[in-house]
Amino acid sequence: MLRPSRSLTRYLPSFPLAQHLLLHCLYRKLLPIMGPYDSGAMTASSSSPGTSPSNFDGLLAGAGYIWRSSDLQKVAQRLECLENVVVTSPSDVSHLAVDGVIHHNPSVEASWVDSLLSELIPLVPGSESCSAAAFSDPHSAGGSSSPCSSLNPAAVIATCTDQSTNQHQHQSQQPLTVVCTDAEEDSGIRLVHALMTCAGLVQRGDLSLAGSLVEEMKALLTRINTGRGIGKVAGHFVDALGRRLYQRVRVSVTGVGFEHEILYHHFYEACPYLKFAHFTANQAILEAFHGHDCVHVIDLSLMQGLQWPPLIQALALRPGGPPLIKITGVGPPSQDGRDSLKEIGLKLADLARSINVRFSFQGIVAFRLEDVKPWMLQVSRNEALAVNSIMQLHRLLWSGSSLDLVLGWIRNFNPNILTIVEQEANHNQSQFSDRFTEALHYYSTLFDSLEACHLQPHKALAEMFVQREISNIVCCEGSARVERHEPLRKWRARLVDAGFRPLNLGSDVFKQASMLLTLFSAEGFSVEEDEGCLTLGWHSRPLIAASAWQAELQGNSQV
Amino acid sequence: MAGSNEINLSECKRIVPLNTWILISNFKLSYNLLRRPDGTFNRDLAEFLERKVPANTIPVDGVFSFDIVEKSTNLLNRVYRSAPENEAQWGIIELEKPLSTEVVVPVIVFFHGGSFTHSSANSAIYDTFCRRLVKLCKVVVVSVNYRRSPEHRYPCAYDDSWSALKWVSSRPWLQSGKESNVHIYLAGDSSGGNIAHHVAVRAAKSGLKVLGNILLHPMFGGQKRTESEKRLDGKYFVTLQDRDWYWRAYLPEEENRDHPACNIFGPRGESLEGLDFPKSLVVVAGFDLIQDWQLAYVEGLGRAGHDVKLLYLKQATIGFYFLPNNDHFYTLMEEIKKFVNSNCL
Repeated sequence: MLRPSRSLTRYLPSFPLAQHLLLHCLYRKLLPIMGPYDSGAMTASSSSPGTSPSNFDGLLAGAGYIWRSSDLQKVAQRLECLENVVVTSPSDVSHLAVDGVIHHNPSVEASWVDSLLSELIPLVPGSESCSAAAFSDPHSAGGSSSPCSSLNPAAVIATCTDQSTNQHQHQSQQPLTVVCTDAEEDSGIRLVHALMTCAGLVQRGDLSLAGSLVEEMKALLTRINTGRGIGKVAGHFVDALGRRLYQRVRVSVTGVGFEHEILYHHFYEACPYLKFAHFTANQAILEAFHGHDCVHVIDLSLMQGLQWPPLIQALALRPGGPPLIKITGVGPPSQDGRDSLKEIGLKLADLARSINVRFSFQGIVAFRLEDVKPWMLQVSRNEALAVNSIMQLHRLLWSGSSLDLVLGWIRNFNPNILTIVEQEANHNQSQFSDRFTEALHYYSTLFDSLEACHLQPHKALAEMFVQREISNIVCCEGSARVERHEPLRKWRARLVDAGFRPLNLGSDVFKQASMLLTLFSAEGFSVEEDEGCLTLGWHSRPLIAASAWQAELQGNSQV
Repeated sequence: MAGSNEINLSECKRIVPLNTWILISNFKLSYNLLRRPDGTFNRDLAEFLERKVPANTIPVDGVFSFDIVEKSTNLLNRVYRSAPENEAQWGIIELEKPLSTEVVVPVIVFFHGGSFTHSSANSAIYDTFCRRLVKLCKVVVVSVNYRRSPEHRYPCAYDDSWSALKWVSSRPWLQSGKESNVHIYLAGDSSGGNIAHHVAVRAAKSGLKVLGNILLHPMFGGQKRTESEKRLDGKYFVTLQDRDWYWRAYLPEEENRDHPACNIFGPRGESLEGLDFPKSLVVVAGFDLIQDWQLAYVEGLGRAGHDVKLLYLKQATIGFYFLPNNDHFYTLMEEIKKFVNSNCL
């Protein structure tokens, strides 16, 4: 029996995508068990603006512009800003307009105006001081569409229970609803119902029924826009379910290899999660290295070494001069005979040399983290040590002993700091349907946030990166299922058990991370503090969490 | 006085609702980027930015639409109709039977605006507007896609629109009433209003019966600068400079704004006296900088002995009818409804 995820009540989604799930779970609460084929009875009434779950200005939507009502003031200010800029340098602007739109789909909210603005503002001197005069709207109380500004469960439950009585009651001044939105809302919700039901069937072992439901869902997908929103995420989950049911050969361990690194890089570029991870960890490492002349960073998954140039630079600039820096990067063997670890090491060395930092690098080739032996890492007694894990530890959870092993040798090194960044999600539950539901919520929110990104091809490839995580969670089992994300509270328990104590990341890190966010990201992301750890999320749903640790002091510690 | 190339968007903030302001400002800014100073137009970018919607034979809110390509011009016309009462009929496009054999159903041939250069029949704003017309005024609307400037100058827009009118008048499935006629009204906003006038003149000369003209802040002009143009230049989304650009893009290359296409009752305008010209409803927005030309048009029609009603909306800006979030919109719809239904039996 499915139950709504606990995270739902904590994180109220205000996006159409995530709201489909909220609605679904509330329907489930209110109604008896639904068969897989009676989802047709549920239709959300999206025609009355007061209870519209989508928060978009309905009138503008009818004109083809998708903007949230709560954003209108801001959009207006930006338009004014843009107008000022356009007037001062029209020739620059038209050329940029062309370039800007190549990377941008104008039907997406946050509009090309925003992307144009962000490109233009740095170019035109004096344009930074756009007057954001208060925009008085004498008509705001009037007849314009006024969807509820924040969705709370009470409002949604009210919508659900009013279904029978409030059938499409139009007043004469109702704005026309956009054709596709209506049909899409309906199909979107049906799709979510079907997905949940299918997960339940898979869990029960009713695979043939699950299979036919997958076919039905594929048909539903043809009726909605799978380029964005619920269609896109649902599409991935339907695919993954299909593969789970029909693929004879299980997908092999994912998340390694050249391709994975490329996709990772695009994910890094497309959204702020990895940038946040790197930044936060680096700040903590920088502080931990304070006063030390010899520092050593062990990166449990080097990838393309994106995290380290800023740290090297920061260490170069610190008062008193840079320390001797050693970086040890762990990575899988290259498939094409290149020594990719060494190549990255060389690049890092080049950078260090160019800023007069004494630097050395070693690469540890290991297919799995469990295969790394402590002696390979060449940790010396005189150096300050930081161990850095970005989304790696969860891969060890398939076997209880693997995590213990790795945490064991990390602890034995007694590092000055252990920085851990993990997805803030509960995708390692034992019941398939629980995992599935969690994942649907998590990735809906993640995809919602990706909509805010306009950089191509980063966005498309970032989505592929995320899609592989989804596939792994849904299709794989046993050692093949590596995406075993667990939330911060579970990691805290595990790490304390393994002999670590938490370090408070500090308010400076929090402030700086928030500032970084405003510089690099769209509206909607939020940095939050959680008992000394930092999380980055989308609209108050944390999606990634960063924490720092030290080994707990023991009687015979080696300091 | 505002500089000739400045749009002072802040003036109009107090007058219009926030979402209308954003919608129209967005257009104006993007149009600014599309018009090149040398008179050429970035058509590809314009098409890319334009929000378009498909026709939908399944009724939404009681209105459905379908596209028909008119063979003589190869241009698309979009037809909007009220949904049939019987749900079993939904999705079926009726091209044989008339609209009604009992009552008269007015058919509005609509020419979208865009200063002869922008927009199409399937632009979201115009599609939505036509749907609202059907719903609120109980009419059938045929929205015409005419070829646009600067690629196609005068008289292409008029020729295409005239073809469309002839086509509409000869469709048996647009007939209604006991005598099985197509009851035609012409309507248009901005350049569409200008087109409606010229097509009505051609219709009158050819003996094709048009029952009425609805001109929504029609696009007229002339060489001299009128008082309203000087007073309102740049204040409410529109500048003289852009108006001039669009006339230069539409009129033949060596011409000026006293060309009869532009200046109807000017020195080169032709006389309309004695012509069987339809009655007109002319809607003028109080903040439209070219209102003096529109008012001159109304006067000119009156002097030529034709029936014209002026609806002057003092606090309205251009484009007030795109969103139904103001009184002017509803006033307009009421007036149109009365206008097209007054001579129905």
